[in-house]
Amino acid sequence: MSAKLTYAAATLGYPGVDVVRDATLSVAAGEVVGLIGPNGAGKSTMLRAVTGSARITAGAVELESRSLADIGPRDRARLVGVVPQQVSAAFSFSAREFVLMGRHPHLSRLQQPTDADVALAEEVMAQTDTARLADEGVDTLSGGDLQRLALAQVLVQQPSVLLLDEATSHLDLNHRLQVLDLVRELADGGMAVLAVFHDLDLAARYSDRIAVVDGGTLGPVGSPHEVLTGPMLARVFRVRAVVGIDPVIGSVSVTPVLREEAVGRVCPGRVLVLGGSGAAAPLLRTLYLAGYDVHAGVLNRGDIDHAVAEALGLPLIDLPAFAEVDDAAAARLQAEAEVADVVVVAEIPVGRANLPALRAVIDAASAESLVLVGGFGPERDYAGGIASQAVRDAISAGATVVRDAEAALACVAGITRAAGTCR
Amino acid sequence: MSPGSHTRRRITAIAVLTVALGIAMLAGVGFGAVSVTPADSLGAIGRMLTGAPKLPGDAVIVDIRLPRVVLAALVGSCLASAGVLYQALFRNPLADPYILGMSAGAGLGAVIALTLTAGATALRFGLVPAGAFVGAILTIIVVVRLASLRGVLDVTSLLLAGVALSYVLAALSSFIMVFFRESMTSVVFWMMGGLTGASWPYVRMVAPMLVLGLAVPLFATREMNILLLGEERAAELGVDVERFKRVLLTAGSLLVAGAVSVSGLIGFVGLMTPHMVRLVLGPDHRVLLPASAIGGAVVMVLADLAARTVLAPVELPVGIVTALVGGPFFVWLLVRRNGHR
Repeated sequence: MSAKLTYAAATLGYPGVDVVRDATLSVAAGEVVGLIGPNGAGKSTMLRAVTGSARITAGAVELESRSLADIGPRDRARLVGVVPQQVSAAFSFSAREFVLMGRHPHLSRLQQPTDADVALAEEVMAQTDTARLADEGVDTLSGGDLQRLALAQVLVQQPSVLLLDEATSHLDLNHRLQVLDLVRELADGGMAVLAVFHDLDLAARYSDRIAVVDGGTLGPVGSPHEVLTGPMLARVFRVRAVVGIDPVIGSVSVTPVLREEAVGRVCPGRVLVLGGSGAAAPLLRTLYLAGYDVHAGVLNRGDIDHAVAEALGLPLIDLPAFAEVDDAAAARLQAEAEVADVVVVAEIPVGRANLPALRAVIDAASAESLVLVGGFGPERDYAGGIASQAVRDAISAGATVVRDAEAALACVAGITRAAGTCR
Repeated sequence: MSPGSHTRRRITAIAVLTVALGIAMLAGVGFGAVSVTPADSLGAIGRMLTGAPKLPGDAVIVDIRLPRVVLAALVGSCLASAGVLYQALFRNPLADPYILGMSAGAGLGAVIALTLTAGATALRFGLVPAGAFVGAILTIIVVVRLASLRGVLDVTSLLLAGVALSYVLAALSSFIMVFFRESMTSVVFWMMGGLTGASWPYVRMVAPMLVLGLAVPLFATREMNILLLGEERAAELGVDVERFKRVLLTAGSLLVAGAVSVSGLIGFVGLMTPHMVRLVLGPDHRVLLPASAIGGAVVMVLADLAARTVLAPVELPVGIVTALVGGPFFVWLLVRRNGHR
């Protein structure tokens, strides 16, 4: 595949400031490259440099292997189209006239748009679901309609490179997918697309490759799977997130959990949480936010609790998916429970596979430092009554039962305060 | 609307306005101290153009009324076209050569030229328009610089800078007039904003400035439409924005200089005409610019007719008529704009 748009060690910016330094990236025909990064990182500057609105102070930007410096504005507008973030329309052109303005670089000075130009405009307006707006004044349209009209205006330019600057921000769910499906289709038809995304799920879903712009530098660049990782999100966006594969659409999905800044800095005690089957996620998050040194008990890979604990960066004892808690794991859990100030058992179902884990924490923790979330009845006992009996014994020995994660937090706070355990 | 119907609409609009201009000019020639019938007017003009022997009544038509009406049409056309160019350039419907201070700048340039050429009438026809042109273009450069001191060129700063500079430039003009008393009479006469001294040499001076100032923008009406989308968007669509802005500024200054050097300071024609045309025909410059050029001529011919006849035999400077109508119009625009927010 041939490179349509290339940044070759390009330094980009505005008079007096370099915004992006030494960027190297190339976008081939048929490819969608997603640009992601925090606000102000230089994503828009990367796009603006291609249309001459930002300066290239070192290196080069090339369109179809020709340096931008050698391409005049009209020729450039035939090669590259930009769908802007914000469309201004403080004048009463009809939507059709607005779209036809995109033909400008193809028309000679006195030439009026021909029937072929108008037919092309009708076609792209049908593609962008704006045909019914043709005779409306653009100053009366909603932000979403305007944004799709702006895409139509760009498509009549018939560019080989398409730049999208967060172009779906004003669109509803349906039109967002519609526009991005269309962009994907255009790319499959041979267009090269470079698109700024704020929505990482959409970036992952529609991009062949993702490039990260952070603090004026470009990189890493790679498949969504390679680039969208917990450590990258923590470093670039300062967010702890669960990165997984969306089970329905099969693309990488990112669920932000916590802002780095929201993470507590004090450590009023070490808490071990025994989780599983997704029952511990709110508990882990609540205790973590409150600043406790949270450790997670035996969790199987693939369990949501496992993903949450990993996203929060918690130390955890893990097992392969569906594996039973063996002696080694039970011993590690017991050791953890012994050094913890508080042990919290989430509202987990208990069966043969994880009964040893429940036993281990009940044995190791003193009754005063044991907190059980939820009542424990036969509906959660898949171990023939053994689990219920163990819990009943613990409660009669003095373990505390609480209703939910918030109550557990209050209880944990009470225990650590009474014990004066804060280090 | 197909391109064909667009072209038809454009041609219809221009045709209707041209007929209106013809009627207004006939009225302008016909009314006055001595009434002349349209038939007599047309006859006299026909005899002038064909070089046929003149009738006794022709002199008043051909040498007095006609140059004045033609000059009014040219001046109105210059001002309205300049208004269209500046409104496109600044994407601001309140832009107008008078409000932007360019008329005052052209005025100062013309005053300097008038003072320097006191007594040398032959020189005036060259130096006055040149001075007005230099004054207009320097003023608009300073106004734009002042208005964009804080980084962005916003509407309020632009209008404030224009008005402030207008006062300074008008004061400088007065200062020069006080200092060079011997040339004061002719300058004051000219400054009032009128067409009283109209003659064929004036017509011959303005006409080329109108043609030059209008020709280039008429070939760039599509770019003017695109410029309304914002400078960055225009660049993305293939317009060489910086160069195009300079072209519009130069053409506009030429038009303002043309109007100012023969008629002094006449306000609001450049503001009102494009607005009225836009209300009826929409914002498309392919129609707006030629229609405003003709519409401005109609407005000015009628304003001059009113100035001559309303209080006859007293003749008002035409600037007073346009200001009396245009001032309230400007306020109405402001109120309407704020109502939209």
